[in-house]
Parts: sequence; C-alpha cells; structure tokens
Amino acid sequence: MKKSLKSLFSAVYLGLCAGALAPEAALAHGEKALEPFVRMRTIQWYDVAWSKAKLNVNEEVVITGKFHVNADWPRGVAQPDATYLNVSAPGPVFIRTKRYLNGQSSVSSSALKLGGDYDFKIVMKARIPGRFHLHPFINLHDAGSVVGPGQWMEVEGDASAFTNQIKTLDGSVIDMETYGLANGVAWHGFWIALGSAWLLWWVRRPLFIPRYKLLHAGQETSLISTLDRKIGAAIIFAVPMIVFGANFVTDLKYPNAIPLQAAMDQIDPLPPAVDVGAVQVKIQRAEYNVPARAMIMTALLHNGSDHPVRVGEFATANVRFLNPAVVQPPQDEGAALAAREGLSIDTADPIAPGETRTIRITAEDSLWQRERLDGLIRDADTRMGGLLFLYDNAGRRYVSSVSAPVIPKFY
Amino acid sequence: MTGKSLDIPARPYTGEKSRLSRAYDYLILVLALFLFIGSFHLHVALTVGDWDFWQDWKDRQWWPLITPLMMITFPAAVQAVLWPNFRLPLGATLCISCLLIGTWITRFFAYHMWNFFPINEVLPATMLPSALVLDAILMLSNSLTVTSIFGGMAFALLFYPTNWPIFGMFHVPVEYGGAQLTVADLFGFQYIRAGTPEYLRIIERGTLRTYGQYATPLSAFCSALLCTLMYPLWWYLGKAFATTKYVKNI
Repeated sequence: MKKSLKSLFSAVYLGLCAGALAPEAALAHGEKALEPFVRMRTIQWYDVAWSKAKLNVNEEVVITGKFHVNADWPRGVAQPDATYLNVSAPGPVFIRTKRYLNGQSSVSSSALKLGGDYDFKIVMKARIPGRFHLHPFINLHDAGSVVGPGQWMEVEGDASAFTNQIKTLDGSVIDMETYGLANGVAWHGFWIALGSAWLLWWVRRPLFIPRYKLLHAGQETSLISTLDRKIGAAIIFAVPMIVFGANFVTDLKYPNAIPLQAAMDQIDPLPPAVDVGAVQVKIQRAEYNVPARAMIMTALLHNGSDHPVRVGEFATANVRFLNPAVVQPPQDEGAALAAREGLSIDTADPIAPGETRTIRITAEDSLWQRERLDGLIRDADTRMGGLLFLYDNAGRRYVSSVSAPVIPKFY
Repeated sequence: MTGKSLDIPARPYTGEKSRLSRAYDYLILVLALFLFIGSFHLHVALTVGDWDFWQDWKDRQWWPLITPLMMITFPAAVQAVLWPNFRLPLGATLCISCLLIGTWITRFFAYHMWNFFPINEVLPATMLPSALVLDAILMLSNSLTVTSIFGGMAFALLFYPTNWPIFGMFHVPVEYGGAQLTVADLFGFQYIRAGTPEYLRIIERGTLRTYGQYATPLSAFCSALLCTLMYPLWWYLGKAFATTKYVKNI
C-alpha cells in the first residue's frame, strides 16, 4: 500500500514537473487582465482590420482601425497625456516600419484628447517565421495597456533572409540587424581580455588561506610585489589613456552624432465621427443581470437624421453584441468575440426621423463572463461604457459613445 | 618589501597542505563566480535595468548617472573582504567580469534567441576599465578614504567615455517618419517591445541644461560625487556581512 502511494505521488510529482517545464506558446497578451471599467471606458476600438493573415518573411501587413477616446474617462485612470500606439507580439517577430495616426506619420508618443476620434495605420514587416497573435494596443502612461482586437498571423520563409536596411543622414546605408555588433563585441573582447589578465595575474598564486596567514603573521609586504605595484600604476595611467583616446577617435568618426530623441508627436483628433449629433443616445439606466449574463440598457434615442434608424451593435472592450436583423456577423477571426445574436431591442420598429423614443437594449451573451467583463459590478468604478452603432436603410452608420452606472441584478 | 620576495609568490605551505589550500582556492573561486554572476547580475537588472538593456535608453543624463552608481556597489563590498583579509586587489574586476558573463548569457539566450531581439539592440555596457582602475587605486593606496574619493570618482568618470566607442555609432541621425531619430531610437520604434513604449523611457529628462548641451559631463560628475559616498557605504556593508572566521580556524 505504502509502495503504491509512493509510486502514485511520484507519478503525480513527475507529471507536475513535466507540465511546469514544458514550454507552451503564449496565446494571450493580458487583454482580459485590465479592470473592466478601464477596458470599457478608455480606448474604444472599432473597425480594426488586417490586410492579410499569411505572409512571407520580408512581406508587410497593414493594420488599420479606429478608436474613440471615451469622454467619460475613469477618474482612477491617469489622463491620456502620454500614450503610445503599440503592437503586442511575442517579441519583434515583426518590425514596425510605419505608423500613422489620423494620417500623420508618427514615431513617438502623443497625447490623446478626451472625446477625440482617431484612425490609425500600422505597417508591420514579417521577420521571424511562425504563427503569432498580434494586437494593436494603446499604452496609457501610469495606467497600462488597453488592447485592441487580435489576429493570428502566419509567417513563412527563412528568418536569415530578413533584411532591414536604413539610410542614415550622413548618407551611409546600414543593416539594422548587424550594425555595430562587430565593433561592440570587439571592444567588449578587448576589455574582457585585459580584465581576465588582471584576474589571472592574481589567481595563479596561492590565494586565500596562505595570504590570510601571511597577512596576519605580519608578512604583508610579501603579498604585493614591486611588479604588482608597477602593473597597478600602469593600469591607472594606461586605462584612462585608452579610454579617452578611443572616445576622442569616436567623436571624430561620428561628428554628427545626436542625443536620443525624446520629443512627443502632436496629433490632432479627426473631425468627430462618434456622437456627431444626427442621432443622440442617452443611457438612462443600465442593469447587469448576473445569471442571464446580460446588460440591459434603457436608452433615450433621438433620431435627428432624415432616415429611420435601428440599433445594430453594441461594442465594448472588443466584444461585439450584434443585432442579426441589422448587422451581418463577421466571418474572420473577429467572430470569436462577436455575439451573433447577442443584441436585442424591445421593439423591432425603426426610430423614425425626428422621433425621440425610450427603448430597452439587451446585450446578452456568455462573452460577458468569458472576457471577464462581468467583474465590472465588483470594481471600484462600476460605470459601463461602449459604442452603440445605429444604421439607417441606406446603410449609413451612426456611432454613439454611451456610458452609465451599472446596477447588478443577482436573481 | 624587497624585489626578491616579490618575485617569489607567497607560499607558506608545501606538499599536501599546499595542494589542499589550492583546492580550497579553486572551490571558493568557483562558488564566488556563480554567486556574483547570479547576485550582481540580478542587482544590476533590478536597479539599472532598462538603461543597460536597450540601445534607446542609453542617454546622456540618466544612463551615466545611474549605471556607475549601481555598479560600484558589489565591487566595493567584495573589495572590503578581499583586500583587508587577503590583500587581493581584484574585487572590482572580479565582480564586473562576473556581471558581464551573466549579462552576455542573458542578452544572447534570453533577449536574442528567446525573444528575437537583434543582439546589437541589447549590447551591454562595460565597466571593466573602471573596475581595473578601482582595484589598482586600492592596491596602491591601501586606503579606504583615498579609494572612495579617487577610485569612486574614476569609476564613474570613466564610464561614459569607455562606452562611447561602443555606442557612439548608434547615435548617428536618421530621418524616419518625418522626424530626426538616432539609430538607437529607431531600434525602439521598429523592434516592438510591448512593455516599454517610447514614453516610458526615462531619458533626457531633468534640468541639466544650464551649461548648454553638455549634459554628459554634469551627469558624470554628479555620479562621481555619489560614487564617492556609495563606495564606503557598500564597503561597510560588505565588511558587515562577510566573515573570515572559518579561515581563522584552519
């Protein structure tokens, strides 16, 4: 019995060890980790698309999309005075060759304006073969990363074929993959050789016990020789000479070297694309039904356009709740975060031009739980937010940013 | 101290005793090697961190201020053990060599092989010239005060010019995306790092601009001053936490 138990425990232990040691590819980038109210009420992504999902090394993929900066910005999150549109990936398996915010080329951080609308375009060049999950995301200074929708990319080809040549302002063309490597290794090698020589100079002699005994026997003078002192003096003289000499030569070689650049880009928001006024939405009450996993919003809608409109989609934190009568479900990878029949309205009648009506919008799906958005009701800030998409018969889209305090319903 | 006695290495033991004492030397050296590779490397990764990891963090202000200040720590502590007890003037060089071994291992295997960063983007800085001078000053002066003042200052002041021949070429300007960047900045833009966006770099911030564009010497002298204080602090830490009682009993 004892033996069997021992064997059982050993097997379980070995299994756990093997499981812990076997590496697995990271399939997520913490997109669910940020508190729900931050994901719902800061950067509201939409229309994110990738130009392709399969490519070869050295080929480029273009990520495009839009985001609205919620005006109902959480009080607990630092204002977006310094933000950076980034791409999450398992290391630089792609390089970012170009980035545009609102059509403006951007290489640095920038401030975002509350209530502002932005579109972006990021060009990525494949560098390492493999299958990688990429997301656009915004780094918010002092707050964290608000991740946009993701896409699996398959890269084929040979990593060694990757090239990244850049022309510097002094006219030379450099390969970013190898530039300065040989020089750096040579300098490290030189100093390591000198350092090793100094260490060997001492280590070749008897060290700890004999030296301790001699030192405490008053024979200190036998431990440091004249030659040792001469070498020490040579080090104090020669090492700075080499250092400052090499420094001087480097200055001569690169006379146009400049400091690292620390400026921020200035990007103005686009003309408003969200809450433009033709259709106005005000959430009067929002309840989250815990057992049903449903957000029930009572909304006051005013249709100021010339056409009847219907609610087609509610999007929050990359989850899309779709009204199947209005919006076709996505066929690509985005389908995983789309509740195809997740949005229902208490009345099927469109809102007529000029009409103001109170309607009940229900966004119901297990995605609330799977995406860890149901934790909102236990947050320090329990206001929800999202984008409501309305469509008229001609296919025009009206986007409204909505937010409201959420009341949980536990039964 | 006569010339003759110096040409003959100190050997109070002969025969089996000598062999055993030598075996003890190697045992301690190997243990010290792994100890300092691990602990000093961890210390530098936690304190200097990104300034040493990335090309586009190695600026004129913070990099030459932080790096020597954080790297003089272990050398001072180890010198406090090896010099007063054994008259071995190699504590600083040993520590920095161990640090470089650990650093190169992680830069190559973790950053390059595992995370795909080009190795030139993550070239480490070296402080070996500073360490050699620090060891030599301690040996020649046999004084904590002199080594603190002159060794500590030399340790910091040599840092930037030592590394400029390695990193200067990464400060060549390029035009990219309608802006002027250095090659180092371009690494940060092109080779994506999810966790360290551009705005998080702590570079070129502060008020060291009174003397025009000569921020580096000011940073270096500030670091030199702080190193003269950091050196004795860590010397006494090393002294407090190390013991030779086991050697005494032999």
